[in-house]
Amino acid sequence: MTWISSRWKIALMIAPAAILFSLFVIYPVLYSLGYSFTKFQGFSAPEFIGFDNYVALGSDPFFWIALQNTVIILVVSIVLLVPSSFALALLLRTAIRGAGALRALVFGPAIIAPILVGLIWVFILDPKIGLLNRLLAIFGASPVQWIGGDTLTPYMISIVFIWSSIGFAMTIFYAGLQLLPQDVMEASSLDGASSWQQLRLITIPMMKETFGIVTILMITNVFKIFELVYMLTGGGPVHRSETLVSYMYFVTFTNQQYGYGMAIAVIVTLLGAAASIGYLALARGKKEQEA
Amino acid sequence: MSSILKDRHLVPPSEYAAEPPAPRTRSKVKRVGFWVGALAYLVTFLIVLPLFWIVLLSFQPSGNILSNPFDLSQLTLDNYINAISQLPLLTMYGNTILIALISVTVGTAVSFTAAFALTRMIFRRKKLQSALRYYLLAGLAVPVYILLFPVYRLDLALGVFGTYAALILPYIAVSIPFNTLLLTGFLREFPGEIEEAAIIDGAGLFRLCWSVVLPLMRPVIATVLIFNVVYIFNEFPFASILINNPDLVTVSLAVSRFQGQYSVDYGGMMAAATLVLVPQLVIYAIFQRHVIAGMTVGAVKG
Repeated sequence: MTWISSRWKIALMIAPAAILFSLFVIYPVLYSLGYSFTKFQGFSAPEFIGFDNYVALGSDPFFWIALQNTVIILVVSIVLLVPSSFALALLLRTAIRGAGALRALVFGPAIIAPILVGLIWVFILDPKIGLLNRLLAIFGASPVQWIGGDTLTPYMISIVFIWSSIGFAMTIFYAGLQLLPQDVMEASSLDGASSWQQLRLITIPMMKETFGIVTILMITNVFKIFELVYMLTGGGPVHRSETLVSYMYFVTFTNQQYGYGMAIAVIVTLLGAAASIGYLALARGKKEQEA
Repeated sequence: MSSILKDRHLVPPSEYAAEPPAPRTRSKVKRVGFWVGALAYLVTFLIVLPLFWIVLLSFQPSGNILSNPFDLSQLTLDNYINAISQLPLLTMYGNTILIALISVTVGTAVSFTAAFALTRMIFRRKKLQSALRYYLLAGLAVPVYILLFPVYRLDLALGVFGTYAALILPYIAVSIPFNTLLLTGFLREFPGEIEEAAIIDGAGLFRLCWSVVLPLMRPVIATVLIFNVVYIFNEFPFASILINNPDLVTVSLAVSRFQGQYSVDYGGMMAAATLVLVPQLVIYAIFQRHVIAGMTVGAVKG
């Protein structure tokens, strides 16, 4: 290997990726960070204002609503999605005829473009034309403002997110279940353990790492929800259903407050990273405690 | 983040496949009752239901959608005629396929050469080698939203705004961290004997990579390709900022404009949605096992 590893050959191999990555990922991150400390609206030169943008966020009611919505979506999604996708993996692992086809169908929504997922769910949730209120009407119930009202939108965004992610999470759990050593299960069966005991005392503890992976993935994915908001409500009415990312998009590209928008982008990046790191630390701490 | 995930992404794609490694496992799974099966079918049906609803609406005359959407007696193809006449199907698919093809090919190629150098070639300074690898992997922690505005300015400054390159360049760049993760993970465990034999036989760097190493990496390359193609086909935030020319519209971008374009022609909108949905689902059905494998290995991208 040594003689084909001349300095210029190494440089030639790495340079294209390194240059593109530096120019279109690292430089933009630094650029955003830099501009988050300025007042910049495009027409005149950016003006350095220190932490003013970040301070202003504190008294921006729309930012707090967006943060609150993001937290609601995060909590509802994780609490519902992780157990239900695990249960679904257990269910679709049983000896049902056609289980393979069912798993493929359940995964289906994960490959649909998020923007199309949003459009599809407009026709389920929309108070006037949506399927849900149609069904309610059949039973004589009064229509519900699923989206576009004051309170329900973030919960509905969670539901749509869960719909598009459940097959994905299920598949990761399913793969984890396939890797469990079969002999442990057999031995415990012989010892007279019930299915419930096996699940609670063997399967779940052995799947801890998979639970961690699914949870982290879903947390980072929740912080990326944008298209759903864009299609379902556009963030309205009056920014009441905005998430952090969609509010950042609005501030930056509609209002053209670039400096302020970049401050929100920096916050989103830090929160996403912190959530993952926090969870990882938690999971690792637990592991060490038990060891 | 990588330590906990490391073992997972090295699991060969077959482990993620939709079908279990059949008879052996299946015989060990307990026989289950009728109700468990019924529950599984019911849950699956509920998950697929929204898609059926869209397809049903696409065949309903517009009057029925508002008044009586469950009526199946007047189904019509009119919506499709309306939708196709308003939809630049060829343009949007052509653009998306072209952009995906170039981005994914170039992205995989540059990631491969970099990954090869970062794992197999001999650096005089080992620390530089691992530092460069971590530099590329650091991109895993960057959400695209922080890149949108700077990349827009960059495209303007480079004079590529309004061309395909405006999207292709960032798509390549954001694919590099994840590609590097998968490819270096694989190459680290690549048997050195094969390389040495090839070099003794007189292979140069190019022949070593192209004729010896790459063919052995087919499964992992397939995973990288599928993951990136799905991502680019579905990508919206970059496209919404970096494409302002109607001739360059991508599929996602076209879908985002349906609500404005079709307004209250709900039937036409649903027909258009079905025209985007069905090809995607058909391709998924054909390559189902590979797509699921590719995307769940891609699960670590975050």
